[in-house]
Amino acid sequence: MSLTIKNLFASLSNKQILKGIDLKVNSGETHAIMGPNGSGKSTLAGVLMGNPAYIINPPAGGQKSKIKINDKNIIDLKPDERARMGLFLAFQNPVSIPGVTVANLLRTVYRLVKSKNKESRRTGHNPVLSVWQFNEQLIEKAKRLSIPSEFLKRSLNEEFSGGEKKKLEMLQATVLEPKFAIFDEIDTGLDVDALRIVARGIEELKKIKTGILIITHYQRILRFVKPDFVHILISGKIVTSGDSKLAKEVEKNGYKKWQ
Amino acid sequence: MAVITPISDYKYGFHKPENYVFKSKKGLNKRVVEEISWYKKEPQWMKQFRLDALDVFYTKSMPGWGGNLNGIDFANIYYYIKPTEKKAKSWADLPAEIKDTYDRIGIPEAEKKYLGGVSAQYESEVVYKSIQKTLGAKGVIFLDMDSGLREYPELVKEYFGKLIAPSDNKFSALNSATWSGGSFIYVPKGVRVELPLQAYFRINAANMGQFERTLIIADEGSFVHYVEGCTAPIYTTDSLHSAVVEIFVKKGARVRYTTIQNWSTNVYNLVTKRMRVEEEGVGEWIDGNIGSKLTMKYPSVYLMGKGARGEILSVAYAGAKQHQDAGGKAIHFAPFTTSKITSKSVSCAGGRTSYRGLIQIFPSAIKAKTKVVCDALLIDEASRSDTYPTMDIRHNDVQVEHEATVSKIGDEQLFYLQSRGLSKADAEAMIVNGFIEPIVKELPLEYAVELNRLIQLELEGSVG
Repeated sequence: MSLTIKNLFASLSNKQILKGIDLKVNSGETHAIMGPNGSGKSTLAGVLMGNPAYIINPPAGGQKSKIKINDKNIIDLKPDERARMGLFLAFQNPVSIPGVTVANLLRTVYRLVKSKNKESRRTGHNPVLSVWQFNEQLIEKAKRLSIPSEFLKRSLNEEFSGGEKKKLEMLQATVLEPKFAIFDEIDTGLDVDALRIVARGIEELKKIKTGILIITHYQRILRFVKPDFVHILISGKIVTSGDSKLAKEVEKNGYKKWQ
Repeated sequence: MAVITPISDYKYGFHKPENYVFKSKKGLNKRVVEEISWYKKEPQWMKQFRLDALDVFYTKSMPGWGGNLNGIDFANIYYYIKPTEKKAKSWADLPAEIKDTYDRIGIPEAEKKYLGGVSAQYESEVVYKSIQKTLGAKGVIFLDMDSGLREYPELVKEYFGKLIAPSDNKFSALNSATWSGGSFIYVPKGVRVELPLQAYFRINAANMGQFERTLIIADEGSFVHYVEGCTAPIYTTDSLHSAVVEIFVKKGARVRYTTIQNWSTNVYNLVTKRMRVEEEGVGEWIDGNIGSKLTMKYPSVYLMGKGARGEILSVAYAGAKQHQDAGGKAIHFAPFTTSKITSKSVSCAGGRTSYRGLIQIFPSAIKAKTKVVCDALLIDEASRSDTYPTMDIRHNDVQVEHEATVSKIGDEQLFYLQSRGLSKADAEAMIVNGFIEPIVKELPLEYAVELNRLIQLELEGSVG
C-alpha cells in the first residue's frame, strides 16, 4: 500500500502555509519530516488527517492537490472517513475531552468502526466476551508502553503531563493498528525513558507494516527510530530528501543551509 | 417490526375489582374534586384538604417566571381517569418515532408495551410482590399513595402536605386538589434498604399518573434510595404532569431520590420536590430531565438540623422545541449544614436550558457551607442556555462557592475524535456523554447505559 501526496497546497486564515508538497510513503517505510518552527510541519499533519480548519488551495491552472491511499484520492474525505481507511494522526497537543476516557474512546471506536456487522454497531449489542477480550488487550498494550492501567480510566488528556499524553497517543496507534500513522512532534516534552517507550510503539507498528511519518523539529526521536527517509521541510516545501544521515547533518548544522 | 397484538387487561390479570369505569369530566371544579375523593373512598380530612387546595389553586396566579406556560388549558384536561382506561388502544396507535426509539435503545418487548401505554406489565408485579415481602419483614412500607392512605391513614395524615403546602405554588395546589397515585414509603428507625426501591417495578400501580403524589419518611438512622421514571420515552396524551414529592429525612437518616424523566414532547412537566433534613441527616436528589416540552423543577433541601447535608445533582437535555428550566434549592436553617448543587445542561437543535437555583442561609446557620457548580454545553448556535442563580446569605460566618461555565463543543475536540474514526454525530454524542458523566455515574447502571444511548440517538437525529 502507499500514501501519496501530490502538489499539496494549504492555507490557514488566508496565510499560505503549504506550497506544493510531494511525498510517497509505502507500507513498512519510516519517513521523517524535519523542519524549523513555522515551516508547516503541523499543518501538513492536520491537512493529511483532514482538519477542516485548513483550506486546500493549489494555484489556479496548475495540478490539483491530492492525497491518495493507493489509487483512491482522499482529499475530499472527512477525518473519520480517512481514519476508517487506515490513517492515524498522533497529535502534538491532544485536546482534553472531559469525562471521556481513553478506554471508552477506544472501545467505542472499536465497536463502531471495526465491527463489520451493522446491526451490532447500532444497538451496541456486543457479546460481553469481546468487551472483555478488548479490555485485556488494551491493558496488555498499555503495559508494553509503561502506561498504568488507571490512566485508561481517566479523562482524555486531562491532567496528564506532556509525556503521558504522548504515550497515550502512541497507545491509541498501537490499538487501532493503522495502515499509515503520522506522528506530529511525538518527541517534544519527552525524557529519554519516555522517548524509548514511544520508539518501542513505533517499532511495533513497523512490525505490522504500518507506513510511518514522523514529523519533528529535532532529531532526538531519530536516535531511537531509524528512518528510511528524511525530508527537510522549509517554508511549506520539501527542499531536500535523503537517508538518516541527513538528520545527523541537521543536528550538527541546523537548518540554515536551506533557509 | 414485529406486530404486537393488543392484550386485554384481563389476560394480564390487571383489571381492578371495581369493573366500572370512572372518568371525571374535562375541566376542574369542586364537583370533580369531590368525585375523585368519593371514588377513592377517602377520609373526610383528605376530601377537605383537596377542596381547600382547590380554593388556593383558584386564587394563585401562574408563575411569572420560568418557561412559557400559555399552552396549558386547565379546562381541557381530565383530572382523573381510572388508570386502566388510560392505555392506548393498540401498539399501532403509537407515534412511529417513539416505537423507533424503543427499538433502537433495545427495550425488551414487554417493557415497550408498558411504556407505550399499550399494556400493564405483569412480571413487574410479581417482582414487586416479592420485594414487598422482604421489605415488610423489616417494617418498611412501600405502597402506592392511594393504598398508603387507605392502610396507614394516621401516618399519612401526620406528614401529608406538611412540607409542601397547597399554598406553596399554583401547581402544588393543583396537585393537592387532584392527586392520584405516586408512592408512599416509610422506613423504620435504623433500617437500611440496600436495594434501590424502584417505582419501575410497580409502574402498573398507577404511579406514573398525571398528578402523582409521593411521600417518603425515613426514620432516624435509616437509609433508602428511591428511583422513579425511566430513560425510555414515556408516551402520554396527557399534556400536563404536575407531581408533588415530600421527603422527611430524620436524624442521622439518608435518602437518595433519583428521577429520570423522559416524557414525550407534548408534556408540561411542573413538579415540586422537597426534602426536610434533620440533624446529621443526608438528603440527595439526582434529577435527570430529558423529555417534555417544558420542565420546571427545582428539587430542594431544607437543612433543619445541625450538620444536615443536602446534595442536588441535576442533568438536563433540551432538544428541538424543548425548554428545561431546572436546578435546585438549598435552604440552610441550622449550624454546620452543607449543601452542594451540581447542574449540567445540554442544549441542542434550538433547545433551551436554564439553570435556576436558590441558596438561602439564615442567621441561625453558622458555619454553613455551600457550593454551586453549573455547567452548560451548547451543541449549536441555535441553542440557548441561561443561568439564574440566587444567593441570599444572611451572615458572614459561611463558606460559599459558585462556579458557572458555558461551553461549546470545540472544533478541535470534534476533529480529534473524528480522526479516530467516529462520525461527527458519534463524536458529539461522546463529548456530551463525557460532559454529563459526573452525574450519570451516580445513576443505576441500566439507566446510565440507556441515557448514553439515548443521547447518541438524539444527536444522530439532530445532525441528520
